[in-house]
Amino acid sequence: MFLKARCLVLALMLMGATFVTADEPASGKPVAPRLTTEELAQWIDERFAAAWQVAKIDPPAVSDDATFLKRTYLDLTGSIPSVSQARDFLEYTGEHRRGTLVDRLLNDPRRPEKYVERTAAHWATLWRRMMVPGNSREAQMAVGLEPWLKEQFTANVRYDELARKLVTAKNDGQQMMPMNPTLDVRAGGPSLFFQVIGGKPETAASSVSRVFLGVRIGCAECHDHPFADWRQKDFWGMAAFFSGIKNGAVDDSPVARIRPANSTIEYTAAFLGGEQAKIVKGKTSRETLADWMVSPNNLQFSATAVNRVWLYLIGRGLTESVDDLDKASPAERRILDDLAKLFVESGYDLRWLIAGICNSQLYQRECVALEVTDAEPPLGLRPIKTLSPEQVFNLLEQALSLPVARADGSARFNGLRTQLISRMNEAASNNPDEFRAGIPQALLMMNGRLTTEATDLDQSRTLRGVLDAPFLDTEAKLTTLYLATFSRHPRSEEMQFLLEHIRKQTTGEKQNQAFAEIFWGLLNSPEFVLEK
Amino acid sequence: MSSTDFTRRDFVKLSLASAFGVSYSGWLPRLAQAAEAGSKRKAFILLWMAGGPTQTDTFDLKVGHPNGGPSKAIETAVSGIQISEHLPGVAKQMKDLAIIRSLTTAEGDHEAATRLMLTGHRPGQGGVNYPSLGSVFAKELGDETNDLPHYVSISPFRFADVGGPGFLGPNHAPLVVSGDSNDPEARANLSIENLKPPLGVTKESMEKRFEISKFLQDDFASRTKGPSTKAHKSNFDRAKRMIATNAKGAFKLDEEPAALRDKYGRSRFGQGCLLARRLVERGVSFVEVTLDGWDTHSDNFNAVKRLSDTLDPAWSTLMTDLRERELLDSTLIVWMGEFGRTPKINGTSGRDHFPAAWSTVLGGGGIKGGQVIGDTGKDGVKVTNRPVKIADLYATMCAGIGVSPDHENISPEGRPIPLVDRGGKVIEEIAAVPEKNKKT
Repeated sequence: MFLKARCLVLALMLMGATFVTADEPASGKPVAPRLTTEELAQWIDERFAAAWQVAKIDPPAVSDDATFLKRTYLDLTGSIPSVSQARDFLEYTGEHRRGTLVDRLLNDPRRPEKYVERTAAHWATLWRRMMVPGNSREAQMAVGLEPWLKEQFTANVRYDELARKLVTAKNDGQQMMPMNPTLDVRAGGPSLFFQVIGGKPETAASSVSRVFLGVRIGCAECHDHPFADWRQKDFWGMAAFFSGIKNGAVDDSPVARIRPANSTIEYTAAFLGGEQAKIVKGKTSRETLADWMVSPNNLQFSATAVNRVWLYLIGRGLTESVDDLDKASPAERRILDDLAKLFVESGYDLRWLIAGICNSQLYQRECVALEVTDAEPPLGLRPIKTLSPEQVFNLLEQALSLPVARADGSARFNGLRTQLISRMNEAASNNPDEFRAGIPQALLMMNGRLTTEATDLDQSRTLRGVLDAPFLDTEAKLTTLYLATFSRHPRSEEMQFLLEHIRKQTTGEKQNQAFAEIFWGLLNSPEFVLEK
Repeated sequence: MSSTDFTRRDFVKLSLASAFGVSYSGWLPRLAQAAEAGSKRKAFILLWMAGGPTQTDTFDLKVGHPNGGPSKAIETAVSGIQISEHLPGVAKQMKDLAIIRSLTTAEGDHEAATRLMLTGHRPGQGGVNYPSLGSVFAKELGDETNDLPHYVSISPFRFADVGGPGFLGPNHAPLVVSGDSNDPEARANLSIENLKPPLGVTKESMEKRFEISKFLQDDFASRTKGPSTKAHKSNFDRAKRMIATNAKGAFKLDEEPAALRDKYGRSRFGQGCLLARRLVERGVSFVEVTLDGWDTHSDNFNAVKRLSDTLDPAWSTLMTDLRERELLDSTLIVWMGEFGRTPKINGTSGRDHFPAAWSTVLGGGGIKGGQVIGDTGKDGVKVTNRPVKIADLYATMCAGIGVSPDHENISPEGRPIPLVDRGGKVIEEIAAVPEKNKKT
C-alpha cells in the first residue's frame, strides 16, 4: 500500500505546481500574511491529503489520546508526563485538548513545570547533537553549547537571528563556566561551536554548510564532489570567509582569502554556488556571509531548518537526508521549499512551525512500518522513533520518580546520568527512525544500577509509592505502573495477563516481587524506548 | 551523519539472525545447551601496543651501533633471525612468526597514526568515518548465529577515538570488555559490565522478568511493526542469550588451570590474551588485546624491559596454547602499534615518535613464518630494502585470513570504500594472494 512511491511523486508534483500558481501574486513584491498555526496545520493536511489520494495511499488512522500525549511530551519536552499529568489529560474530554496541550508545552512558563524551559532544553539538546554529531571528545564538549541554545529557544529568538549569532561568533574572552561537577564540560557561547568542530577555516566551512545550508561539501576539500555539483572552489570559497579562525581562536581576518596547504592557488570568499562575495566596508567577512546566508531569498537556509524540525517531530525529514538536500527528489524539494517560504513569512518563528506541525492531523496519525525495501519512502508518514540518550535518562528519571535536587543525591549529579548517557551514546543514531543500541546498552537497561534500584522493593520510589498506597487495588496499582512508564492504561488482555501473574503468587511478599518483575518488564519493553 | 539504505539493510540481516525464536519457559538451560557447540572458524587476534612500540629494542636491533643502545639480541628458533633478549618466549615461536622491519608510514601524531593503523586509511580526508579493522574483519568473518558478538575489544586504551565501527554502524561495534585495573583478580576486571543479574535477584525471578517482557514485546511488535521494533527485539534477545549462557562462559577464567594462567602472566594483558583464546574458541572472529605504555620518550630501556616481561609470556603462551588446540592455523595474530620510535636515543634515554621505518609482526593462520621482510640498514633511520606501506600490510592481513582485499563497503555518502586502500600489494613471501573476489 505504501509502495506507490512513483504515483506519489507525480501527485506531489501536480500539487506543488497548483499551489505555486495559486499563490503567486499578480504583481509586485510578494507580501504574504503570516498564517496562524491552525492555518499552517490545515495547509499541511490539505497538501498531503491530496497527494495521498492521487497516490492511492490510505493514510493511517489518527492515534488515540494516550499515544498523542506521550508523543507530544517526548517530541517537545524530551520526557514523558508524570502519572498525574497523564491522568489529567486522559480524563479530560474537552474538544481542543490536543491543541491546548501543544500550546501549554510550548508556551507555558509557569512553575513548577516551566514547560517553556523544558521544551527549550530538549530542543537545545537536539540542535547541539545536530551541530556536532558523533561521540568524540569534541562532541562531548559541545554539550557546553546547550545552555546558550536553551536561552535562545526559551526566548524564541528568530531562527535567522540565531544562525547569524552562531556564524558571526566572536571570542568573548570570558572564562567558560563549568556546567556540572560530574562532567568535564564548560558552557560557552557561539564561539564554542567553532572550537569543538576543530577551530579551522576548513572545518568551519564544511560544518556551517552542512548545519545551516544542508549541503555536504566536505568531499570538495580535496577533490570535486563525485556525485553533486560541488567543486573544490566552492569549498575553499566558503573556507575563505572563515580564514580568521586559527587554532581555535574565533577571529576575523581582514582579508577573506585562503590558500590550502600544499597548493599554489589562493581562493577568495565566494558564496556557496559560485558568486564572489563583496565584503562591505565596516563588515567582517562572516557578517557578509551571514547576510547572504539568512536572506529570505536563500531558501536553502530556510528549507534546511524546516526539514530538521520536521525530522525531529515526524521522525523522518520531508526529504530524508537532512544534511544533504542535494539528494532530495524534485517533489520533495517542492514541498520543502513551499513550507520554507511559509516559515520565512512567519518571521523564522520556530515555535510557530512546531505548533503548526503538531496541530496537524498528519502529526497525529499512527506510525507505519517503513521498510528497508521502500527505496523512496512515501512522504508524510511517521516511522517508529528511537529515543535519544538524553530522552532515555529523562524517562527513567520520570518513571522511577528519581530525585532531581543535588542534595537528594540526584542521578543528574552523582554520575549515573553521565554513565547512562555515555553508554547510550556509544550506539546512538542521529536519525530518530534508526534503533542502534547494542548488547552493552541492553545489559545496562536490564541489569544496570538505575534499573536494579528501581526494581528493588526497599529502594524503588515508584514501587513503594504504588505498593504502599492503601487505597489502590491490584488493578489500580498496575494501571499506575502503566501510566508511569507508558503514559497509558493497560488494555484488557494486558491487565488479564498481569493480574494472573500476580494472583499466581502464593505469599504477599511474592506478590510484591511480582510487581517488581512487571515494572522491570515495562522498563525493558520496546514501548519504553521507542516512540509510537 | 545521514542514514542510509546500508544500515537499514543491516537491520534486516540482524532480525533474520534472531529469527530462531526462543520459547520463554525454561529458556535458561536450553540456551546454555545450545551454546556448547564450538567451531573452528577463521579468527583474528590483534595485540595492540598503544603508544608506539620501539622497533630497535624489540624486533629490529642495532647491536654495535650507537642507535642500538644497551639492547642485546638473542637467537631465535629460526637461524639467522635475532630479536630482543627480553623476548625469549617469542623467540621460540619464530617459525610461526614473520617480522616486517620495513613498515613506512607518514603519521607521527598518536591520534592520526592510531587512526591510520587501525583503519588502513589516511584520516580526515573527504570526511569518511572509516571503520576499524576489527569491525571490518569481524563483519567478513563473523557467524551470525553465534551468541557472542563478532568483535571483542579487551581493555582498550588508545590515543584516539578509534576502534569503532565507523560508517558500518553499531551492529559492527566491538563489545568492550572492561579492564580498569592492572590486577587481573580485581572485581569487574576482564568482564562485561552488567552481564550478571543484580545480587539478590534469583534465577527464578529473572525468568519471570523475561516472561513478562516477552509478553510485552510480542504485544508491542504485533501492533507496532517496523525496523526499529525488530532491531530492538533482536538486540534484546542477544543480550538475553548472553545473560543466559553467561557469555558462553568465556569470561570464567578461573576454569583454566592455575599453571596455565601463570604461564600467560597474571597481568591484565596476560589474562586478556587467555581470554582472547577462550573467545576465539567460542567463535568470536576478532579480538583485540591492548598493552599500553609504549610511549617511551624517556627511560626507554627500563620501560621496554618491563613491557617485554608482560608481553613475552602472554604472546608466546597464546601461540603454544592455540597450537595445542589446533587453532593456530586458523587464527591470525598481529602485533603492532601506531608507529615506531626514533632510532636515535634522546637526552633522557628515551625514543620519540618515528613512522618512517618500523616493525610489525604477523603470525599464525595463513602466515608463512620464520621470515624477515625488509631492512633498515645499520642505523635504522630509513628503509633500505623492501618498503612496506600500510595498504600492503592490510592486503597481507586480508590474504592471511582469506578475505578478498578488493571487497568494498559502501559509505553513507554512497562511496565504495575498499578494505584495502588503493595500491596495496600482498607481501607474497609471507601470505598467499587470495583468489580475486573470493569472500570467506
